[in-house]
Amino acid sequence: MAFLPLLLSIPRMAAANGELEKLISDPKNWAMQAGDMYNQRYSKLGQINRQNVGRMQVAWMFSTGVLRGHEGSPLVVNGMMYVHTPFPNKIFAIDLDTRKIVWRYEPRQDTAVIPQMCCDTVYRGLAYAENKIFLQQADSTLVALDAKSGNVLWSVKNGDPKVGAVNTNAPHVFKDKVITGISGGEWGVRGFVAAYDINTGNQVWKAYSTGPDAEMLIDPQKTMTWTDGTLQPVGENSSLSTWQGDQWKNGGGTTWGWYSYDKALNLMYYGTGNPSTWNPAQRPGDNRWSMTIMARDVDTGMAKWVYQMTPYDEWDFDGVNEMILADLNVKGKPTRALVHFDRNGFGYTLDRATGALLVAAKFDPKVNWATHVDMKTGRPQVVKAYSTAQNGPEVNTKGICPAALGSKDQQPAAYNPKNRLFYVPTNHVCMDYEPFKVDYVAGQPYVGATLSMYPTPGSHGGMGNFIVWDASQGRIVQSKAEKFSVWSGALVTAGGLACYGTLEGYLKCVDANNINKELFRFKTPSGIIGNVFTYQHKGKQYIGVYSGIGGWAGIGMAAGLEKDTDGLGAVGGYKELRDYTDLGGSLTVFALPDQVVATK
Amino acid sequence: MIHRALAPALFAGCVSAAVQAAAADGADDKPYIVVDGFKVDAKTMNGFRAWRAAACDRCHGANQQGLVGPSLLVSMKTLSKQEFVKVVTEGRLEKGMPSFTTSRMVMDNTDGLYAYLKGRAEGAITQARVQEMPQ
Repeated sequence: MAFLPLLLSIPRMAAANGELEKLISDPKNWAMQAGDMYNQRYSKLGQINRQNVGRMQVAWMFSTGVLRGHEGSPLVVNGMMYVHTPFPNKIFAIDLDTRKIVWRYEPRQDTAVIPQMCCDTVYRGLAYAENKIFLQQADSTLVALDAKSGNVLWSVKNGDPKVGAVNTNAPHVFKDKVITGISGGEWGVRGFVAAYDINTGNQVWKAYSTGPDAEMLIDPQKTMTWTDGTLQPVGENSSLSTWQGDQWKNGGGTTWGWYSYDKALNLMYYGTGNPSTWNPAQRPGDNRWSMTIMARDVDTGMAKWVYQMTPYDEWDFDGVNEMILADLNVKGKPTRALVHFDRNGFGYTLDRATGALLVAAKFDPKVNWATHVDMKTGRPQVVKAYSTAQNGPEVNTKGICPAALGSKDQQPAAYNPKNRLFYVPTNHVCMDYEPFKVDYVAGQPYVGATLSMYPTPGSHGGMGNFIVWDASQGRIVQSKAEKFSVWSGALVTAGGLACYGTLEGYLKCVDANNINKELFRFKTPSGIIGNVFTYQHKGKQYIGVYSGIGGWAGIGMAAGLEKDTDGLGAVGGYKELRDYTDLGGSLTVFALPDQVVATK
Repeated sequence: MIHRALAPALFAGCVSAAVQAAAADGADDKPYIVVDGFKVDAKTMNGFRAWRAAACDRCHGANQQGLVGPSLLVSMKTLSKQEFVKVVTEGRLEKGMPSFTTSRMVMDNTDGLYAYLKGRAEGAITQARVQEMPQ
């Protein structure tokens, strides 16, 4: 409509970000952290395939100059690669023709932020849209940079690190907004998601995870939730009525995971984290809407539907893991599904348009804190022996599976549209959990539980599995045991491959039809907690991954001790991981040799 | 660089008897009292409570064995009381160790916290979870 005068304030009609949509439709790019807006982590590239992946070699490497945990992945947009690092959150823009650094950016951040990020300084990556790179700094500053020059276009303060409100999540661009969350559940931070205009940095909306309806952007009559086998309005003060006194103000529900977006429904999806503190005795009630899957209108932020997975958390089972959008036949019925592998050990399938609960089943058979999810109420049926609330403060509840870091943490799963199955990197760890009373002091840790974690007893002895999951039925199709937690995001490709990294530092590619058939492995310089990604440049497909041990995987694994006195001679967990790897920070990029590409 | 004078630490190998150890820098000759390896005096007990309240285990491990932060079973063998108080107060920010100046619980109990961790490092306190000894 070129004859219309240009009015800056005209709200755009329901389209996703057009340029970004175009970029992600071309598999040569990796323009979003998940490769797309659905969080599928699937690539249509097939040059590297199950026949030739065994001949894959290292094509090039890049050291980030930063140690500690490297999560997320670089972005690739039109022949440029954008690499990020953990704190101090450096960015390198690399020309893929010359592999030269075109520009670099390093923000100045107060080192006081580092201890507030406990227990590592991870950052899950950048976002791109309309010639802008979006950086979510640890100190909560959100920055837009010119993608060609690295010049700062705008920056905005998203939270207050002085009270522990920091950021580890990747920002996400949906339409004309860049959307980000907040971390700090262990500091009593009240979670929220905020949307900023990509051109100006002005805040468009902000929706809290707990508190009054108006601040949560909940409509008591129109926001729906699964109740008694059907969808019903949440009603007035659905959050406030489930907290005692003012506890919701320091109530957690932080939002540090991966978000997804359905253009047709104009809804974005994300999960909220644990309620604060970890001592359930201090916050009787369901603690809504912590531990919740949220569906919100991207333009207004209003909640369309919510579903709380773990009411009254007693184990730190944050609900932040990615929501994967896929069109499935669920129990024989074509469904616009949302699939989510929760920290609590249950794999959920919901109707993403309505919020109806369709499937909830254990994706690790050793999960024991609940027998099942009641499909009518949507509530997990808690086993008394593993209830830290029923056992009470100052009692050590032993043998809870999974551990606080969950049957899966933030490490994202991938979806294979060819067989409609999900490829899930998982943890296989249990814990002892002793809650105790703790007082809130702004800017100080607000945890209130002592945990010990160890490999799942009575199993294969390892601390992880890589699994294939059928979300239509809620069943494990295949499982591949791993020595350590699989803390790396998976990638599935049209070449019939599923690839993931391990904490020892291997990049592994397996046959997507039979994941126990390993086709490729290569030991990178450090343990892998980054996500595998792929792109094509000048006719050649590349597969890459960050290595750099850290995150809760590398450090949050208390050894499986029989007795405290075993302390220094501990087996399992971190002590043993040290026999395989040490700190690092690098990108390794693989490709086929020229002669293999030529004979394809 | 801080020059460290190492005094020989008294090894407390006698279980089920009250143990008293001398601090490495001699500034505090009775940092903790422990019976049966886990029943401690009131001051040391408050040190353990401060340890828990400040969530030290998130970085140093539930048994002080070290995770992202160093093993205190090792470092407390050689850290002087003075150095310990400095680290807890000011932190080592670039390494991830917070400053606890705003935590009354920690600031009021640095003596007890030092005693508790010293007892753990010296092996006299044989488990992380301690109890207050009967008065």
